[in-house]
Amino acid sequence: MIKNFLISIFKYGFLILALSISGCGEKQAEKTPAPKKPLLQGESQPLELSDEVTHEPVVVTAKTRETYQWYCAQCHGVKGKGDGINAKFLTVPPRNHTKAEYLETRTDKQFFEAIKFGGLSVGRAPCMPAWGNTLNDSTIYELVRYIRELCQCEAL
Amino acid sequence: MKKIFYLLISGWVLYSPILSNASLIEEKKCAACHRLSKIENEKKGPDLFYAGNKFQSGWLEEYLQNPVTLRKTGTINNPYFLKGELQNLQQHPILNKNDAVNITQELMAITLPGFPEEQINPLTKGQIAKTKYEFERTFGCISCHQSINLAGKPRGGISGPSLVNAGNRLKKNWVANWLKNPKIFSDKSRMPVYKMDDETRLRFTQFIMTLRKENLR
Repeated sequence: MIKNFLISIFKYGFLILALSISGCGEKQAEKTPAPKKPLLQGESQPLELSDEVTHEPVVVTAKTRETYQWYCAQCHGVKGKGDGINAKFLTVPPRNHTKAEYLETRTDKQFFEAIKFGGLSVGRAPCMPAWGNTLNDSTIYELVRYIRELCQCEAL
Repeated sequence: MKKIFYLLISGWVLYSPILSNASLIEEKKCAACHRLSKIENEKKGPDLFYAGNKFQSGWLEEYLQNPVTLRKTGTINNPYFLKGELQNLQQHPILNKNDAVNITQELMAITLPGFPEEQINPLTKGQIAKTKYEFERTFGCISCHQSINLAGKPRGGISGPSLVNAGNRLKKNWVANWLKNPKIFSDKSRMPVYKMDDETRLRFTQFIMTLRKENLR
């Protein structure tokens, strides 16, 4: 009896331990500080961005919206409300891009890095993959602007 | 005269199996939903112009007789794709065994040339654990693809095809090539392009091949 009890504690303990180190849905990821240099997918080019907008004004076009629908909407939803078709299968819900309360606390640079290098690079959930090999920088800047349009907010 | 007659008959006998197989894909109207060549416009079913590179013949034969849903919201070109309207999914037609075997044989002959066979070594348990971690956390694959969790249950997003039975469905060499250069197969996938180093890419390939429905509990 006691033996069985000990065996089951061992089994489930192992399972819980294993689960705790796996999964993109782990909450702990939200608290992990961002690595200084994103290491994802062999990206070696240093990112030189300041928090100030130093480049030409970026314009959101029909193509930007199309790009959002094609890639981002899978998780963030057609209207950016964080309710895409994958959303309910992820433990960390995709960001709702229409909520200003949180997004105004983030800079454009943080948005850019999250898209280019993935969620982990800015200390957020690993569910968000890196799009830097799929989308070029100017498209990513446009998406940042589009998210600002969706939340109707700017960085504070 | 007799010789010509025999020649014609023997030619017909030899040629007829090829003819009858060739017409089966047409007869079943596969091209109505699937691209059989890359130059065609996008269609609602998965592309088949590299079917011979991609699928394991045993899986394909079984699928054609008992179709299973790999993409719960349809393929990426489905107009309902982002709406998640599962009930609107069109099921694949069911074929009898003979047709399934013959079409599979024909599909196996549809390949893109020029892929070198890659040397892909089996993974140790430690490598499997490491790759599973990267699959979920470093590359975020699980956000869109279902795989098998530690409890033996399907887990993950649904916008990409399920990988729960990928080890029985896909050819190893195709997975390795897809991860290396997806543009060969699809100009416009909804999956991010990953620039993995070769060691990681081949480890991922082998990891994906470990996902089999027999491992479900």
